Amino acid sequence: MQLLAQDLVNGILAGGILAVVALGFSLVWGIMNIINLAHGAFIMLGAYLTYQLFQSFHVDPFLSLPLSFVALFVLGYLIQRFLINWVARAPILTTFLLTFGLSLLLVNIAEIVWTGDRRGITTVYTGVSFTALGVTVPWVKLWTLLVALAITAAMQIWLTRTKTGRAIRATSMDIGAAQLSGVRTPQIYAIVYGLSAGLAGVAGTLIALSYALTPTMGDPFLIKAFVVCVLGGLGSVEGALIGGLVYGIVEAFATQIDFTIGTQHISGSGLQDAIALIVLLIVLIVRPTGIVGKATA
Amino acid sequence: MNHSPSAVQSGTGTVLRRIGLGGITGSPVAFAIALGIMALLLAVPATHNDYFQIVFRNILMYAAMAYGWNVIGGYTGYVSFGQVAFFGLGGYCSAVLSANGVDNLFADVALACVVNMAFAIVIGIPVLRLKGHYFAIATLGIALAITDIVANLDALGGSSGLAVHHVDEAHFYIYYYAMWLVALGSMLGTYAIARSKLGYAFVAIRENEDAAAVLGIGQTRYKVTAWAISGMMAGAAGAVFAPANGFLDPSIAFSVDSNVFPIVMAILGGVGSVAGPFIGSLILTGTNELLQRYFISIHTLFFGAMIVLVVLLLPRGLVWLFGLKGGARAWLKALTAYKA
Amino acid sequence: MQYRSLLVTALALAFAVGGSSAGIEPVAAASDTIVFGSPISLTGNLTKEGHLTQEGYDFWKNYVNAHGGIKVGNKSYKVDIKYYDDESKNDTSAQLAERLIDQDHVNFILGPYGSGTSFTVAQIAERKKIPMVEGNGAAEKIFKQGFKYTFGVLSPARRYLEGILEMAHSQKPVAQTVAITAASDAFSQEVADGATAWANSHGMKVVYNNKYPDTATDVSSIISALKQQNPDLILNAGHVQDALLVQKGLREQNVQAKGYGYTVGPDTPDFVNALGKDANDVFGAAQWSEAVKYKADRKGFYATAPEYAKAFEGVYHHAPDYHNAESTAACLAFQYAIENAGSLDPEKVRDALAKLDVTTFYGILKFDSRGLNVYKPMVVNQIQNGKLLTVWPRGLAQAAPKYPAPPWGKR
Repeated sequence: MQLLAQDLVNGILAGGILAVVALGFSLVWGIMNIINLAHGAFIMLGAYLTYQLFQSFHVDPFLSLPLSFVALFVLGYLIQRFLINWVARAPILTTFLLTFGLSLLLVNIAEIVWTGDRRGITTVYTGVSFTALGVTVPWVKLWTLLVALAITAAMQIWLTRTKTGRAIRATSMDIGAAQLSGVRTPQIYAIVYGLSAGLAGVAGTLIALSYALTPTMGDPFLIKAFVVCVLGGLGSVEGALIGGLVYGIVEAFATQIDFTIGTQHISGSGLQDAIALIVLLIVLIVRPTGIVGKATA
Repeated sequence: MNHSPSAVQSGTGTVLRRIGLGGITGSPVAFAIALGIMALLLAVPATHNDYFQIVFRNILMYAAMAYGWNVIGGYTGYVSFGQVAFFGLGGYCSAVLSANGVDNLFADVALACVVNMAFAIVIGIPVLRLKGHYFAIATLGIALAITDIVANLDALGGSSGLAVHHVDEAHFYIYYYAMWLVALGSMLGTYAIARSKLGYAFVAIRENEDAAAVLGIGQTRYKVTAWAISGMMAGAAGAVFAPANGFLDPSIAFSVDSNVFPIVMAILGGVGSVAGPFIGSLILTGTNELLQRYFISIHTLFFGAMIVLVVLLLPRGLVWLFGLKGGARAWLKALTAYKA
Repeated sequence: MQYRSLLVTALALAFAVGGSSAGIEPVAAASDTIVFGSPISLTGNLTKEGHLTQEGYDFWKNYVNAHGGIKVGNKSYKVDIKYYDDESKNDTSAQLAERLIDQDHVNFILGPYGSGTSFTVAQIAERKKIPMVEGNGAAEKIFKQGFKYTFGVLSPARRYLEGILEMAHSQKPVAQTVAITAASDAFSQEVADGATAWANSHGMKVVYNNKYPDTATDVSSIISALKQQNPDLILNAGHVQDALLVQKGLREQNVQAKGYGYTVGPDTPDFVNALGKDANDVFGAAQWSEAVKYKADRKGFYATAPEYAKAFEGVYHHAPDYHNAESTAACLAFQYAIENAGSLDPEKVRDALAKLDVTTFYGILKFDSRGLNVYKPMVVNQIQNGKLLTVWPRGLAQAAPKYPAPPWGKR
């Protein structure tokens, strides 16, 4: 019983990171109809930025969160404005291809700059945890979850209450009407993409606290982001959060499946992806637009 | 936020219509040229250069997979990120037959087609009810899940994989010709579909699925058929690949490259055309080889840069270039057509 | 319009043909040079290890060329190595091996990094009847196919964790329970199988044995599950990435075992740099360390490990790890085999490799009938106060193993 409780906690904590990763990805996908394969590279860049700041200037990783955000926002904004914008309204496959190429570029540049060495960040509080009700909670992972919740809330508020946020939502609903109302689409798109990159940077910083840094570190998270977004509901802020938590919890509980039939070992953790898919399919059959997704117009 | 699935689908369709892609076969000139190149490729084994043979065999293999993707993704508009599942299953069919003493390429391909058809039907009926993005991710999930399941199954060799019997060096060319036949079959099959009622139904589903339903085109039946055909093309390629490679394990059978490259090739060449996938395969593989040779450790960097350039300069694929009327000016104008 | 289409087609064909034939230059590469071909992971997930392999190879090449080359009969040959990047992908590696053999006409193949790639390249070597020596693919499946042209200088995968188990088994208090976690790839699974078999046959109980995908982003729940079993010894068979994840996770969940052992990780500086104090007292399985007391019984290269290490560090500015050493050893196998054979004929060199029996700075180079070097023992290192020291086998040790490990926070 205690193990199950621990699994639940592990899952929620792991889900927090997945939620942050998925949030930016989902925004670009839902609002701009772009599958941004470079998202993994942005995560990686955010992580390396945090690493450099930590190594060279002893900046605590949590303090570098806003820096990651800003730096990656600017990068994303520029990339969208001067590169992706050329094909912003192209079919989804065209932008898929473009971001694929972009991702290759960014990862390889990172390989040249930082080489393939695995780097990590170890602070005084790395690995420290507290135990409550028989469940161990690592501090770093808890703070990561809190940051994830805070960001989700902030994004939701920003999108619904601010002028730019509303302009963004208007653009995604009906681009023609939005333009007629004075919304400058290229600007909006650049902001959204920049935002997504900034969020990826934040995710990278958080991931760097627990995970080894290499140029290809973003890949496994990106793959999971795909599933988390759809699980929760595309383009929805709460959807990314809920999808992430559900995914994390499913993965955690999957490790309970651990038995042997003859010589065949059935391992839930070895079959993580298969189990995630089954959950995804079940959810989509019951709610075709994801857990929180809105029914199609 | 409106991301209704039909908006996704008709987007692709409207665009293809707007650029006047000849019917749904694409430029006939391109097709003729593709066939011509295929004929030339028959001569490759005669050069007695093994490496040549491998490269062109890969081109043919990827072409067949690109054709497979093209049927479900290009013509029917259901973008699939999981075609590699079919490829890998086809490969494992050959491996299992080989482990049981059957080393016949025809049997391999036949079994692969049957298994993949069954798989497409069984999985397709529930999964093809999903639309647009959701379908895409479900297929991605299927590809990942199958990799995991196979890697965990001792009966299929687990992550160590299975050896597949293959002929000796002197007769190696049979794999080349077998792959050539698979590629040709895929190309001609696509042509036949494009000119038939089946193709019309696929495109109708892509353009506007609801309207198609009103017209009496039973969607599920056609969608599953499209997916089954896709699966068989990819599966046949896998079935020939396994004995040619001599060995199969989950990382090779279900590799990310095998999943992504065919899509890239189909898009580069021209989605929803008959010559596109083949041309795309030729160019992408050839470029990759060139880059490998001259930029040993930064070739991926140049590859990425190349893809970015190609997308910006040829947003609708290469075959589109064949059918473009108006020369350079029209091309320049087309470059800005997608700007926000 | 016809013109444009023809132009595009011509381009397409040119790319395809040009790309694949690029490099058909007849090998005017002099008749006094032995050319080795090697597809290695210069990019991709295994780029770090690929570069270590390349360093090992190049270090040998430069030494040999500076010391008169390789003597074949009464003629001296220089050495050259042609590299391609396999992007850490199995089938790419095989394809590049074909290219090296068919297009670049290399004499011999030096193996890539990794079991997956070594396996696919071995297939090619077998088909083409070109000898290949590798130092970085330990999975036994490579050697179970009856290949005659592939030789591995490293100890096989199943033995990786045996040294650590042996060591723990000989300590007081004796380690009685073991938990094993492994990545899903073939190599790691073989290591886990070997460890399980050894533990079972020596009276140790395996209380937890589970696997996770190579792409795992979180292993907390596996750690929670194994914590419940209270193992004396925690072993992991995986790669640097997951070794780091696991070690951090063990710390976070306060899993107190008597010993922690990893196949890959502790021997790389990355491990210590990334984990700081939490890396202390961890055991790592290694193919070689600077402390091993072998002395070469043949001239032509550095005779002892410390000499090799010093010279290597002088060139590359970092202490050599076992990936460097085993790569150099693979080259040495070729060097001595070629000298023994007195010829560059692939068949004769292959036979000479099969009969090779020589001690080098790396250890004994001798292959069983499958091509595996079962004669060389694995070494156990331990990180003590941030330094990597060899602690087992006793005859080769620089320091005594620190066991049991002190609690977290007190290292």
